[in-house]
Amino acid sequence: MAKRVGIVDVAMTPGEETKDNFLDQVFKVTKEVLDKAGISREDVGTVISASSDVFHSGQSCANAYYWDAGAAMLKNGSRQDGESLFAFIYAVMRILSGSYDTALVLGVCKGSENPENDMITHFYTDPFYQRPIGINETIAAALQKRQYMERYGITDEQCAKVVVKNLGNGLRNPYAHVKKRLSVDDVLSSEYVMSPLHKLECAPKSEGFIAMLLASEDKAKKLTDKPVWLKGYGSSLDSFYLGDRDLLKGELKNAAKQAYAQAGIENPAKTIDMAEICEPYAFQELLWCEDLGFCKQGGGGKLIDKGVTEMDGELPVNPSGGVLATNPYVSRGLYRLAECFLQIRGQAGERQLDKKVKTALAHGTHGFAGQCHAVAIIGV
Amino acid sequence: MGKKVAIVGSGQTMHGRRFDLAYPELVNEAIESCLINTGVDAKDLDGVVFGTMPSMMEGVALTHFYFADVLRAKGKPILKTETCGSTGVSLAITAYYWIASGMADLLMVVGSEKMNEGDAQATMTTILEPFYQMYFIAGAPGVFSMQSQEWSVRFGIPEEKVRDAATRLSIDHHNDAFGNPYAHIKQRLTPEQVNTARIITYPVRLWDVCPTSDGACAMIFASEKMAKKLGKKAAWVKGVGYSGEEYWFGDSDKVMWQSAIQAAKQAYDMAGIKNPRKELDVAEVYNPFTFQELLYYECFGFCDFGQACDLTLKGMFSKDGELPCDPSGGTLCTNPIGATGLIRVAEAAMQVTGQAGDHQIPGAKQALAHAMGGVDQYNGVMILGAK
Repeated sequence: MAKRVGIVDVAMTPGEETKDNFLDQVFKVTKEVLDKAGISREDVGTVISASSDVFHSGQSCANAYYWDAGAAMLKNGSRQDGESLFAFIYAVMRILSGSYDTALVLGVCKGSENPENDMITHFYTDPFYQRPIGINETIAAALQKRQYMERYGITDEQCAKVVVKNLGNGLRNPYAHVKKRLSVDDVLSSEYVMSPLHKLECAPKSEGFIAMLLASEDKAKKLTDKPVWLKGYGSSLDSFYLGDRDLLKGELKNAAKQAYAQAGIENPAKTIDMAEICEPYAFQELLWCEDLGFCKQGGGGKLIDKGVTEMDGELPVNPSGGVLATNPYVSRGLYRLAECFLQIRGQAGERQLDKKVKTALAHGTHGFAGQCHAVAIIGV
Repeated sequence: MGKKVAIVGSGQTMHGRRFDLAYPELVNEAIESCLINTGVDAKDLDGVVFGTMPSMMEGVALTHFYFADVLRAKGKPILKTETCGSTGVSLAITAYYWIASGMADLLMVVGSEKMNEGDAQATMTTILEPFYQMYFIAGAPGVFSMQSQEWSVRFGIPEEKVRDAATRLSIDHHNDAFGNPYAHIKQRLTPEQVNTARIITYPVRLWDVCPTSDGACAMIFASEKMAKKLGKKAAWVKGVGYSGEEYWFGDSDKVMWQSAIQAAKQAYDMAGIKNPRKELDVAEVYNPFTFQELLYYECFGFCDFGQACDLTLKGMFSKDGELPCDPSGGTLCTNPIGATGLIRVAEAAMQVTGQAGDHQIPGAKQALAHAMGGVDQYNGVMILGAK
């Protein structure tokens, strides 16, 4: 990228339900990130938030509600729907355009006030063909997992290891919603939600309010001693109907290719020090690792068997506990990016990796079987 | 400042009650027309910007999934911008920043709504929180009638004069719509018809209100380099402005309406406009209600506060007036909400490139496009120029 955009700081809420209402939580993370950066509301150039009408406590035109709580009063701002990494990159664009030198990015989702995620994802379906079948994101994921197991011989045990790893990592993360020390047997003996997916292989429904402050290169250097820079971004959308797609050859490869090209990364498995991957279903972490080029196609099972993605592995994945631990649907991409940021800064507390993190990858996905992917690479 | 951003062209659906098409087909109608008009090959697009009003208007959520193929977005980056009624202008602003940042050279921008598949007023009522406001601000007309009454009382404008000015706008716009092949409602009206039409929410009567429309609009935005390569006569983005205020309706002044004033000011400052009435040749003001259009003339500095009625009655804002407003018939005649703001931008672009056909304002060089959203909470403005 010609000019650089830096992340100045971040603030977020834990995934559990709290007594704070919606607006209080938006205000809290907004205030916290501005305090950390030592600036006031008046200093914020523009505010871009991510929220979705359907994941928004029964209110539509989502950003109307929290506009003023999120420091946007009489500012030029906007909103992205569905994926919070969209809001991040839109804020980056606004800075790169030269119009603003600071941008506040918000991800907003109060899971506790929403119905079950799958009741909502069911409304992604078209009213003619898919709606009458009752399909939702978990059913789409079950089809995808079945195909993954059959085509590449991925086992239930390998998928369960992802859960054991991620919920175990969550034990050290104060922001994690579900934290558990589990065995592979525990995961596989949890009931089927939708065969072949066991309950513990599926992400929960969480709260998630997050605020991230971005700045142009000059401004970032003024606001913090330790800016973290955006190195590359890519995103890609797939076809709508599941039957039109090869669910194991999705668009993540394409999104990653764009991001790697911008960041000048040729060998991601070597260059990337850690990754936060959006895995609402355990097997997806393995599949996405393949698409991101961390191993060869079909090699996701071996990757976890060898311990490569463990906290002390060569390429730790989801030290935060990932989406399996905390799933604020719309905000989850930005939570991935926040963890990468904290790891690079050495501010990840008890879950700080025991190695120098210089380059990190954050991934977000939403839609059936990963219909849309976004990848951001940040580093020092 | 950022890189220069051009608008290469647009496509619209025949807006109206489109029970002949499913929603993706409706969106496709605008996109096909846009690609034919601009000669752009969808394969060359660097990305797509898409948005609608509340996702649940038609009972399908996160519609970028459903429309992925129709949007020609497979394998491409997408941004899904949504800001209530102002979505259309927010979409255009998103495309502006995407290209101005240098991250793309060629984008397609699409806004759509198929309102006849749902209950628009019921959907809009869910913008309000369920504790205080939802019970008494049901739907859109109530909000706008409160606003217009506050305005006329504040400036001591006699009720009859406000009525006369609103009637003039209603007659003019419904008449102008005959010149716009895409418009939904076209009607020759007499003052008596407008003044005696049934009351929706006092003082708003039937012909003061926009219809419920199905429609879509698609536009191509390009970098300077790409616009030259495409070789079409382009409109150029000269200024963008957007502002939002308090969520709670009673917390802000809706007469000296800061979000509207600020959005216009940002766009004027960027475009170097000091006297909008003189420097603008045409304006596509978001006018779902006649009364609100009058207020916008004042907030946008087309005239002083309290003056809009007198000047409207003198013909200042008519098609042959000093600053023609909504020669397309505007939102008053066509309102597929998620597309409406983008249609304003498309119309402004057609005007400054001399491609507006029967509703062309001769010699238009600089135009304003505007949209409003939320419960009178958001305003977005874009200024386009011929150079």
